Amino acid sequence: MRLGVLALLAAVWLSLSGPYTVHEWLIFAFGVVSVAFVWRLYLALDRAAGGDSEFFRASSWLRLPRFLVAFALKVAAANLHTTKLILAPKIELHPRLRRVPASQKTSFGQVLYANFITLTPGTITLDLRDDELLVYALDAESEADVMDGSMDRDVLRLEGGSD
Amino acid sequence: MTGALDIVTAVLLVAGGLFCVVGGIGLHRFSEFYQRTHAASVTDTAGAGLMLVGLMFQGGISMVTLKLVLVLAFLLFSSPAIAHALVKAAHGHGLALELEIPDNPEKNGEPGRDGDAAG
Repeated sequence: MRLGVLALLAAVWLSLSGPYTVHEWLIFAFGVVSVAFVWRLYLALDRAAGGDSEFFRASSWLRLPRFLVAFALKVAAANLHTTKLILAPKIELHPRLRRVPASQKTSFGQVLYANFITLTPGTITLDLRDDELLVYALDAESEADVMDGSMDRDVLRLEGGSD
Repeated sequence: MTGALDIVTAVLLVAGGLFCVVGGIGLHRFSEFYQRTHAASVTDTAGAGLMLVGLMFQGGISMVTLKLVLVLAFLLFSSPAIAHALVKAAHGHGLALELEIPDNPEKNGEPGRDGDAAG
């Protein structure tokens, strides 16, 4: 998997700078150095996170499109709701804090879930600790989006731990 | 064909622009730091997302579109990280949350404070 990340980084660099740079040795050398640097950084971070990057299995990539569709729909709905709150003649917010269990097995999955919640306007993750998120929500409807656990299940499904 | 794509692009760009304006209005109308981060995330997700997708229709299947996809991907990873860092820092340093629902889970355990070095 670590080599997979290396290959991914090299592919990203090549696609962004264009294959012609292979012939320009200085630019190419910069590319090699930056890919090596980022890969080294990834290895260090992976070790610090306990090396549970097995989240990235081939099957996870296959499940990614379905997750992205669910993600886009939820973010769009939350955006419309928050827009309604912003443009209402009178600002009416009912902010609240909630503890939400993050049932993902890998720390990557939990972070993905926390970021999912933060990206949906109306809810934001204040803290992640002991498999629990501290979520701040603008009102009851935003809160319900998280509390019904559908986002949690989306990330679980992507992680592939539920089946 | 090209005309239809141009219309799709135009609609998405204008919609994205509107969400950016809405985010700005929210930033102004909401009264408190934590609420304002929610308004800012409208700009981050709907605003930037719709604009980038709109531009992708101009790029077609090309290197340009791949780069736009990467921009969107990096944005979707970095903006929640930034938002989280902001609110966690504010929370950890004791900026009070205005809560309507008094059920405050912080009573037991003071999350966000213990173990975090100030700074």
